[in-house]
Amino acid sequence: MTATATRPPDAAPPATGGKRARKRERQGAAWVFLSPWVIGATVLTLLPMAVSLYLSFTDYNMFDAPRWIGFRNYTQMFTEDPRYWRSVTTTLTYVVIAVPLQLALALAVAIALKSVKRGKGFYRSAFYAPSLLGASMSIALVWRAIFNDGGSVDNLLSGMGIDIGGWINKPGWAILSVALLTIWQFGAPMVIFLAGLQQIPAELYEAAAVDGASWWRQFRSITIPMLSPVLFFNLVLQMIQAFQVFTPAFAVSAGKGGPADSTLVYTLYLYDRGFTASHMGYASAMAWVLLLAIGLVTAVLFRTSRAWVFYANDTNEGGR
Amino acid sequence: MTTAPSTTPITAPGAARKRPAPARITLHICLIAVLLVMLYPLAWLVATSFKPADEVIASLRLLPSHFAWGNYSTALDGVNEVGVGRLLWNSLLIACGAVLGNVISCSLAAYAFARLRFRMRGPLFAFMIATIMLPHHAILIPQYIIFNQLGMVNTYWPMILPKFLATDAFFVFLIVQFMRGLPRELEEAARIDGCGPFRSFFSVILPLTRPALITTAIFTFIWTWNDFFTQLIYLFEPEKFTLTLALRSFVDASSQSAFGPMFAMSVFALLPIVLFFLAFQRFLVEGMAGSGLKG
Amino acid sequence: MRGNGTRTSLALALVLTLGGTLTGCGGDGGGGSGGKVSLRFTWWGNPDRAARTDKAVELFEQRHPDIDIATSFAGFDTYKAKLATQAAGGDAPDVMQLDYRQINQYATSGILLDLGEHPQLRTSEIDKGLLATGVVDGKQYALPVARGTETVVYDAALWRKAGVPEPTLTWTWDDWADAMRRLSASKATRGRVGSTDLGQSEDVFEIWLRSRGKALYTKDEKLGFTADDLTRYWEWCTKLRKEGAVVPAEQTTQMDGTVENTPLGRLKSVSDFNWDAPSSGFAPIVGEGLKLAPMPVGEDGTPGQYFKPSMFFGASAKTAHPKQAAQFIDFLLNDKEAGAILGATRGIPANDAMRQDVLPKLEGFDQVVSTYQKQFEGKLKDPPPAPPKGDASLQSTFSRDYDQVSYERMSPREAAENYITEAKAELRR
Repeated sequence: MTATATRPPDAAPPATGGKRARKRERQGAAWVFLSPWVIGATVLTLLPMAVSLYLSFTDYNMFDAPRWIGFRNYTQMFTEDPRYWRSVTTTLTYVVIAVPLQLALALAVAIALKSVKRGKGFYRSAFYAPSLLGASMSIALVWRAIFNDGGSVDNLLSGMGIDIGGWINKPGWAILSVALLTIWQFGAPMVIFLAGLQQIPAELYEAAAVDGASWWRQFRSITIPMLSPVLFFNLVLQMIQAFQVFTPAFAVSAGKGGPADSTLVYTLYLYDRGFTASHMGYASAMAWVLLLAIGLVTAVLFRTSRAWVFYANDTNEGGR
Repeated sequence: MTTAPSTTPITAPGAARKRPAPARITLHICLIAVLLVMLYPLAWLVATSFKPADEVIASLRLLPSHFAWGNYSTALDGVNEVGVGRLLWNSLLIACGAVLGNVISCSLAAYAFARLRFRMRGPLFAFMIATIMLPHHAILIPQYIIFNQLGMVNTYWPMILPKFLATDAFFVFLIVQFMRGLPRELEEAARIDGCGPFRSFFSVILPLTRPALITTAIFTFIWTWNDFFTQLIYLFEPEKFTLTLALRSFVDASSQSAFGPMFAMSVFALLPIVLFFLAFQRFLVEGMAGSGLKG
Repeated sequence: MRGNGTRTSLALALVLTLGGTLTGCGGDGGGGSGGKVSLRFTWWGNPDRAARTDKAVELFEQRHPDIDIATSFAGFDTYKAKLATQAAGGDAPDVMQLDYRQINQYATSGILLDLGEHPQLRTSEIDKGLLATGVVDGKQYALPVARGTETVVYDAALWRKAGVPEPTLTWTWDDWADAMRRLSASKATRGRVGSTDLGQSEDVFEIWLRSRGKALYTKDEKLGFTADDLTRYWEWCTKLRKEGAVVPAEQTTQMDGTVENTPLGRLKSVSDFNWDAPSSGFAPIVGEGLKLAPMPVGEDGTPGQYFKPSMFFGASAKTAHPKQAAQFIDFLLNDKEAGAILGATRGIPANDAMRQDVLPKLEGFDQVVSTYQKQFEGKLKDPPPAPPKGDASLQSTFSRDYDQVSYERMSPREAAENYITEAKAELRR
């Protein structure tokens, strides 16, 4: 499905009058560069994927031999499982909250850091610090304490006259506290933005400054277009990761997806079906539906990217 | 990594724009304000590691009533007669192996995808992206069976070998995106000088991709370090356990848990990743400095 | 590119040494080295259990220089996922600690060895009722290690301050509910509620059922209760929750299996339901006043609680050394010296002789548990057989369905119907 939609990176410009031998040498070279990936992708990815695709058409409890049941898992998922649909809604809510906020925060901090001269290293490290933690059990317990009844957030908000109570034990609010855990750990996209910002030639800004362009104008006409490949990368990857979100939800809800299934995101439900209930066939079917869904979203992103992602080697110079 | 002898620090792009002092100060104030909020949970984590057993969960106050240093001495004793030193070494071994693997294999694959022409490139690239999309829980068991067949269970290979085979498509994609941002003229020039694809990869492209490689190294280190589930599934002997695994040994639902020492060990386990990050983050600054892009 | 050579060779050397270290680490496991038999043994537990187990293992290795035991442990939840993955991968450890709910699945799927065929393994001293729980299809696939029983664990100091009469051996569910109402209402408890909400616990529900003469599962592996039974239970729980006798949904949802995160552990209630041995976790939080009370009985005095095998030992059907595996299990269960080392770290031993040896030497909370168990000696009914396969997920389904009730997304009736449908589907697999 993505095969038709994803655009491979642009190849070398048409080899004008290039010799065949040279072309073949390049072909051969490509496969040398690719060889580790080809082995890994075949043995460690393609093979297990094929197995899981097969399992998705079986009743497999991990202990006894899988039993072929055709599309039963899929029909059950779509027509008989209300919790499945709850997990879909929960995941979509999460994606809509977490992805834009995390990217916006990461980009804002990255751009701010770019114009900071003093203490750059300190800021970068400090902003990255939360991301060093992952979603360990310790951080889960801290999160639960902070977002509990009478916890720091509750105290702060009630001090301002907003009375929500604990977030982690309120069905409407719990998913927000999970999303905040992800947003809080915005270090990875921030670093990628930072590295991308470094790639923008300073001349562009200097020329713009000479022309008297405002900050906002520079941001819009230089930073955004020049950063667009990286922005696109972050968007695609954060989106994919958000659809697959597992650890923050698992950690904050202690693996249960509670309260009242309100943090039971897709992958957490998949894990619950596969490993707790030992319906590995059903879990595999869920995985493939997710793959197709993410593939579709990614394909759409790749398609729209033609309109707004700018690659240095597509045109000659500058980015006006 | 070979061509850039010019170590002269070059001011980061954009810094050339002079700003009035008040604006700079406002910026600093804003950044520090955001930081304070962000670091609060971390402060909580550290504070909790000093809390006595009855306050770790029950107390919703930041500071402990008195400092329980015992948490740290328990944590430093290690777990199951395996000392903290050993656990630390094991974690480092896995993380460093993974970093080496990812940096080498992902940059190779990325170069082919970004810069070379070969048959099936489109479909293969799409397939690579697709491999990021399948939740890894679904392929856990097939993968386990493969590693078991290879006799690699209870070794570090299941954590390291995949990295040498570029299975982290995330990083291949990351490096591809960076390489695509590099002007094509560079290689054209190299080709005119008679460089083949290998020479232009090693001496032109790779040095310029350094920010992406450093990024890959940092993320791989941290993510491998924190990857509890893979380590849990594949490691058997406590002597081979990592800090991340040992952390969880303090908590058991069927008996009494030791949350205090777990927090202490969390803080301890954080130190190596902090050091790793501090050591490498400054290389991100270099960026394109002296890369030839400027002139 | 001249200075390049040294760097390349440096990188290469790094790869090689790393590779060397790795393969060096992965050498053992085969069991072929020097004619020594090597066995893998895994269990769940905490560092204290690990220390004692390792000591016992050392003793065994001293006595059997030809056997080498590699041990490993993890917390309960992670242990289950790990063992399942290993079993699915055809790589189950030689000797493993098993939960009541795993026995049936693992036995019927051919993962466990029939231990009855190994005379090295003596079972004569093990409690007959408990022994039967490790039998599936007439074969002894697993042996009970220790026994535990459910308890109402409570803060006796607060209880006394509130002026509520302390629990007795014959208090009924109504007596219990009255006590909870009075505790919640009392000023002495300072806003703390009587009890944890028992609606989320399948274990408590089972005891409630048994005290009414029913059971979770029938002998032929079907459900032993109806939607009406479950509805009645959850309606009763809902009533108590609305009266404030048990904690609200916001507290219940935070339970994660550890005692520290229960309402009592977080100082939001005065009492809780738990198994006896794990209740030790409350000691540092609740303090001196911590006591264990019997579970309430039915109106006619029928006790619902029973001695449950808290864990089992089993061996892998694929082990290359079944004889040695049986020898090792025998050592852990029947050897006096091993018993002295292990004490009650896995619970009060199921081996009668061992229990007599160990009991007088117990200290601290282990002693509390043994005294608690003593009052039931000969008074409880035999435990039910190991739950049928398919049951593994029903425990979490139970609390999840009740979660919907306590957050008022479903009525007790709807949730009960839901549970019964899912349970029937699971048991049919």
